[in-house]
Amino acid sequence: MRRIVAIVLAVFLIGGVAAAVVAGREEQDKSTATKTVLGVIGSEKAEFFADPDVVKALAAKGYTLKTETSGSWAMEGLDLKGYDFAFPSSQAPADELAAKYGVRQPLPRPFYSPLVVVAHRSAAGVLADNGLATLPAKGNGTFRMSAYLKAAGADRTWQQLKGAERHGELSGTLFISTTDPTSSNSGALYLAAASYVADGGRVADGTAAVNRTAPLMRKLISVQGAQQTSSDAAFRDFISGVGNPLVLVYESQVASLLAQGQDVGDLTVLYPDTTANSDHTVVPLTDEGRALGELLGTDKELRKLAVRHGFRPQGTSAEFTAATAAHTTYLNQKLTGVRQSPVPASKVLHEMARRARG
Amino acid sequence: MRGGNFEARRSSSVGRRSAGRNGWARTTHGAAAAIALASLTAGCTSATEKPVPSNKPEPGTLRILASSELADMKSVLEQIQQDTGIKVRPTYMGTLDAVNLLGKDKAKGTYDAIWLSSNDYLRLNPTAAQQIVSETPVMSSPVAIGVKNATVRKLNWKPENVTWADIEKAVADGDLTYGMTDPSRSNSGFSTLVSVASGLSDAQSALTDKDVQQATPRLAEFFKGQKLTSGSSGWLAEAYDRRGDVDALLNYESVLKSRKDLTVIRPRDGVVTADYPLSSLTSTSQAVRDDVRRLTEALRAPAAQRLITDSTLRRPVVASVPPATGLDTTRRRELPFPGSRSVADGLLDAYENKLRRPSRTVYVLDTSGSMGEDGRLDRLKKALTDLTGDFRDREEVTLMPFGSAVKSVRTHVVRPENPRSGLDGIRRDTEALTADGDTAIYTSLEKAYEHLGADDDTFTSIVLMTDGENTAGASPAQFDGFYGGLPQAEREIPVFPILFGDSDRGELEHIAELTGGRLFDAQKGSLDGAFEEIRGYQ
Repeated sequence: MRRIVAIVLAVFLIGGVAAAVVAGREEQDKSTATKTVLGVIGSEKAEFFADPDVVKALAAKGYTLKTETSGSWAMEGLDLKGYDFAFPSSQAPADELAAKYGVRQPLPRPFYSPLVVVAHRSAAGVLADNGLATLPAKGNGTFRMSAYLKAAGADRTWQQLKGAERHGELSGTLFISTTDPTSSNSGALYLAAASYVADGGRVADGTAAVNRTAPLMRKLISVQGAQQTSSDAAFRDFISGVGNPLVLVYESQVASLLAQGQDVGDLTVLYPDTTANSDHTVVPLTDEGRALGELLGTDKELRKLAVRHGFRPQGTSAEFTAATAAHTTYLNQKLTGVRQSPVPASKVLHEMARRARG
Repeated sequence: MRGGNFEARRSSSVGRRSAGRNGWARTTHGAAAAIALASLTAGCTSATEKPVPSNKPEPGTLRILASSELADMKSVLEQIQQDTGIKVRPTYMGTLDAVNLLGKDKAKGTYDAIWLSSNDYLRLNPTAAQQIVSETPVMSSPVAIGVKNATVRKLNWKPENVTWADIEKAVADGDLTYGMTDPSRSNSGFSTLVSVASGLSDAQSALTDKDVQQATPRLAEFFKGQKLTSGSSGWLAEAYDRRGDVDALLNYESVLKSRKDLTVIRPRDGVVTADYPLSSLTSTSQAVRDDVRRLTEALRAPAAQRLITDSTLRRPVVASVPPATGLDTTRRRELPFPGSRSVADGLLDAYENKLRRPSRTVYVLDTSGSMGEDGRLDRLKKALTDLTGDFRDREEVTLMPFGSAVKSVRTHVVRPENPRSGLDGIRRDTEALTADGDTAIYTSLEKAYEHLGADDDTFTSIVLMTDGENTAGASPAQFDGFYGGLPQAEREIPVFPILFGDSDRGELEHIAELTGGRLFDAQKGSLDGAFEEIRGYQ
């Protein structure tokens, strides 16, 4: 099925490439000062690159950027000839792409964002009262992964948690809604973190390891029923008050909404005590692509703009901390008490996702 | 295009019978698009032809394939055009058909975006799902039950506490009857079916095949309370008003809330919610996708959200805008939508063939001399033969061909243990039809009413196909008198006339109106399409 995805995407991308190349040539005729760079990016960065200030900041450095979006895992199936860079939302697919196209390491990783669980206050309170979360502040807390996995393994329902009866919407199996792990990055990273915790802090390194956690991973996915294909849609449903009480999203989605000054209602952000980071990694395919990737991580203005879109720039955390000072109710700026889960190699993670989806 | 769809339907009915007649395969026919359109028109006439407008791209205009119920967004979209300059050219289609179109990769170049009541269906179809680049919910409405105020009082219900089990009990006790749309043809019907099945199965997470099997006896009991079925929300409401003795309607909250005579209840133990995601397509250019994004943002701006909730009674999707007055804001659990096609198909199959009340239908078929012209009889034979792929288990089908009088009355039952024999019987009798004689419409209709009689255990209806005016037997006035003299239970049997050949629109419209049916137009559209569309009402 993933093959089909790749083929469909490839077809549309080829069209996009042709158009972009033509457009690029025209522009180059007009102005030799700017270099047109073509990239394929994960959809969660589309808003960043569409931001007029980002366009301006790039232009100031002599770049005109053309982007096409693709699922991070689908990029492996694309023919990226003609592109200057690919920009998946985590390291595993980036490493695969780098190996495929013989790109030299290290790869530029301009920014990252941890996965978090969003909940309404009622659900977060019940989790805290039952040892599944700690909630020191009103708008953010820590999600206890091992306790959750134990509950999930035992098919625990909300009704079995004390205090849930006060909230009509809290019934049915306790689970986190994620995107489809076979096609979307955040769903796959969820399995990476969950399997790491479930297997006693070991990163899955092959079929035997996948076997050990497969029944639990299958359970985590199958209880959800139909899944969203992008974390964007899942988060918007949540903010709209539709859907499951617990939803897995990127911290950047929450931070971006807060930065825009939007009303988030009684949102509570739960940082899993063991979570996977989305390491937005540039795979340069040309020298221009590499230069652009480096620029995103080093240019002060672009780093600032990345923060505006909720991302954490690599290296110093000062910019993120300063920019989100007004939102500490919701954001755990220093990621205190949050451990980063390693992510299995691409092939292993694919196998894990495929078996979990069933 | 329709030919292709019918071919698919036929061949699948030859293969795996139940899958062909039910589930997703049955939704592939083109007629549902027309159902969608039909539900918008206030009158009883409906076009059965799938509209094929020239849908050429036009700069600044977004060609959007939209669920039929989104027609009520006209004023909102006009406002947005004023504010942003983005013009929307909608093509309305039933959700299932739209998914099917995407599943066959036919949206490319014709549509710039998709806007359905929900993408839940779509996600179960891998090919269709892969054509969506991004989707953003624009508004929401949960499945709910609208109950007559008097019935609520009689049942002593506190609306905020009612559960699916309470509804089940009221139905079992004979205190509650209801109407709902056909799940195979209408998104509201399918969402309702999922809500009910989840609510009554005790499933704590997404429904599985086993849950559906286990819940079957309870579900069968529950669906005994269903007194009305319909291919569209619009006709359902009309039929409900006409009947007067049905207690409730199951539909989206926004549809029910527009009626003052109903208490709208979102069952406490969970609902399925339509979230109307505006979705951009992989096949479009970045510039188009950017326009879709701008349109989405405009629709999600607070002013637009207020306009949406006030004018459509759907719920806003931004936290800063409260729902319209009267929409209860307490949260409800969202019942998970089935995660696989086999569960969705299994549920539809169970509903059609086991759970719902079976239907009894008389096909009153004009086989007068004029049907021998222009290959009309052959078209009728083909349409009827095609239709045999669509009959449900337990369904009783009576063919009543007429000319100067009724020529024969042949009844076939699709028995679950041997459906083939019933279906073969229908095909044999269809093949044997010959064209001769005058046109005795009303005398034949009277015979059909006498044949069906009063029957509370089935959905009874009459389909009238005629290609000409009444030339023999009872007059229109005599039929009016006959109908007026029927007992109440028999007056509830609707006639669905099909306009075909040289038949008289006024005459047939009168019959539809008199009996609470609905006119279907096979002059503009095809006879196959009309027969297919009527299935949603049987």
